[in-house]
Amino acid sequence: MPIIDLKDINKTYQGAVPLHVLKDINLEIERGELVSIMGSSGSGKSTLLNILGILDTYDTGEYHLGGVLIKNLSENRAAELRNRMIGFVFQSFNLISYKNAVENVALPLFYQGVSRKKRNRLAMEQLERLGLADRAHHLPGELSGGQKQRVAIARSLITNPSIILADEPTGALDSKTSHDVMQIFRQLNAEGMTIVIVTHDPGVGEQTNRIIRLVDGQIIDRP
Amino acid sequence: MINPIFDIENWKEIFATLSRNKTRTFLTAFGIFWGTAMLAMLLGGANGLRALMSKQFDGFATNTAFVWGNQTSMPYKGFKKGMYWSLDTEDLERVGKIPGIKDATGSLSHWGMTITYGRQRSSSGIMGVMPSYTEFMHPIIVEGRFINDTDESSARKVCVLGKRVASTLFGSDSPLGKNIAVGGIYYKVVGVCEARSEMNVNGNLSESVIIPLSTMRKAFNYGDAIGLMMLIADDGYDFKTLEEPIKQAIRRNHPIHPDDNKAIEYMNISEMFEMISNLFLGISLLAGFVGFGTLLAGIIGVGNIMWVIVKERTTEIGIRRALGAKPRDIIVQILSEGVVLTFIAGVAGICFAVGVLGGVNYLMTMQGNPAGFQLSFGMAVGITVVFAVLGTAAGIIPAVKAMRIKPIEAINDK
Repeated sequence: MPIIDLKDINKTYQGAVPLHVLKDINLEIERGELVSIMGSSGSGKSTLLNILGILDTYDTGEYHLGGVLIKNLSENRAAELRNRMIGFVFQSFNLISYKNAVENVALPLFYQGVSRKKRNRLAMEQLERLGLADRAHHLPGELSGGQKQRVAIARSLITNPSIILADEPTGALDSKTSHDVMQIFRQLNAEGMTIVIVTHDPGVGEQTNRIIRLVDGQIIDRP
Repeated sequence: MINPIFDIENWKEIFATLSRNKTRTFLTAFGIFWGTAMLAMLLGGANGLRALMSKQFDGFATNTAFVWGNQTSMPYKGFKKGMYWSLDTEDLERVGKIPGIKDATGSLSHWGMTITYGRQRSSSGIMGVMPSYTEFMHPIIVEGRFINDTDESSARKVCVLGKRVASTLFGSDSPLGKNIAVGGIYYKVVGVCEARSEMNVNGNLSESVIIPLSTMRKAFNYGDAIGLMMLIADDGYDFKTLEEPIKQAIRRNHPIHPDDNKAIEYMNISEMFEMISNLFLGISLLAGFVGFGTLLAGIIGVGNIMWVIVKERTTEIGIRRALGAKPRDIIVQILSEGVVLTFIAGVAGICFAVGVLGGVNYLMTMQGNPAGFQLSFGMAVGITVVFAVLGTAAGIIPAVKAMRIKPIEAINDK
């Protein structure tokens, strides 16, 4: 059974001129895949990622995540599913500026009610795994871009999610650091993690095992 | 999620956010601090004033009126206007019979008399009173007894000394049984008394020599005149409605024109008491109103700052929501920040106010006027509860706004 299963997903943004951003999207992503979603800006890739991440809703169709139908969820249920099943990595890192690296990494566990001691221990393990143990007590402002993104990846991993959704994870990084971050994703994928990366950078897409191209809200060139 | 109260990270977060913008937090906290301090000081101050005032009235019958004679202002029955007259025992009897009058007593007084005992001298007033005088003023009997009925009926030459007169003449010795002289006449001291109330009628009791009214009349040739009539009304009667019957009774006994409003002086004490107690009610209400207004302004300040903080933290809240924070988690977080700020500043405000009130109280006590310039514990708790509730209320609008933040908005806001 695919971990992500989209059937005939449609999404229209209502406005003065309604915008049909996703048109009959059908997509299956299996466990253990490393997939990139590519498209130019306005192609609907961010909307698709938001729907995959249960951050946004869709109008028609069905989306199953790990066998669970994601439709008409309450805010609480959506928050819980995001917390337990999805790890997010963002272009702008989205770390909380007044918390140090360990606290940032541990934050998702805070919302699971894990004790402070335990979540800090788990957060330390993730930082060690990503080679950041010596930066554990630094604030985000004291870290380089690559280090910040590694902290963000550690945070996405801490709840042991079913998938990692990365939105332009290398968008704010130089090419050398981008390469390092992609290496980390490949490494994680090799260890069995399912990863979906949204990007417009062909260099990033090439390092994934499968590229899904979106043009004007439609998937084309499906391999 | 575990109870946020017991999670140190929750507290760390509250303090981290509040300390990120120290100036603004301080100014807002100061608003609350000042609001509570004002409310507490005003309420405590009003309490203190009321206590001071009721101390003045302590030991003084409140449903009371005084009547005395004044120059007439109209000619009547062959008498010219401007005639001097005085109340007499006949008036006392007539007024005493009016229904609703519980007690009527008369007194006479002279000021500036020289009292001597051996070589000791004291300048003070002398007052002739009836035994029922104690119904009006409740003097503290320091030693011996007060004037009694036999003193009055047999016009005995006895006296009760005011405490200060006694100490001037006798120092620390007991004056009981000694004879003092006033204007060439000797009186035997039977008691020493002291004023309980700060309010005086015909001079301060502590600085007077008190003798029986009948003795006073004889000694100073007053005939059957009395200087001041003091009246107490029965329960259910008041001196507003009794005024006319009393004046009529007196007019019939003297050549006073029925329309002469100036000849009879009539002072309704209960009315004055009522006025004063209304005044203090007014002061308390004003104090409460002003204090509460200040507090409200502070609370609105907290609401305002929480609002700004929420706006500033839209991204952060969005991140938290994306990472799995439920709407409730966000509300709890924002509300606790507001409550913590109000609570700390409020308690500091109350402590400050209690300190100031304590200082005032100390100074007043030093000056010999101990008064209750203090907040009762219940009142302090009450104020704390009020602003804890208001602090929560002030955080509600910003908290709801924070709850409505969609993670997607925040995250797309790159």
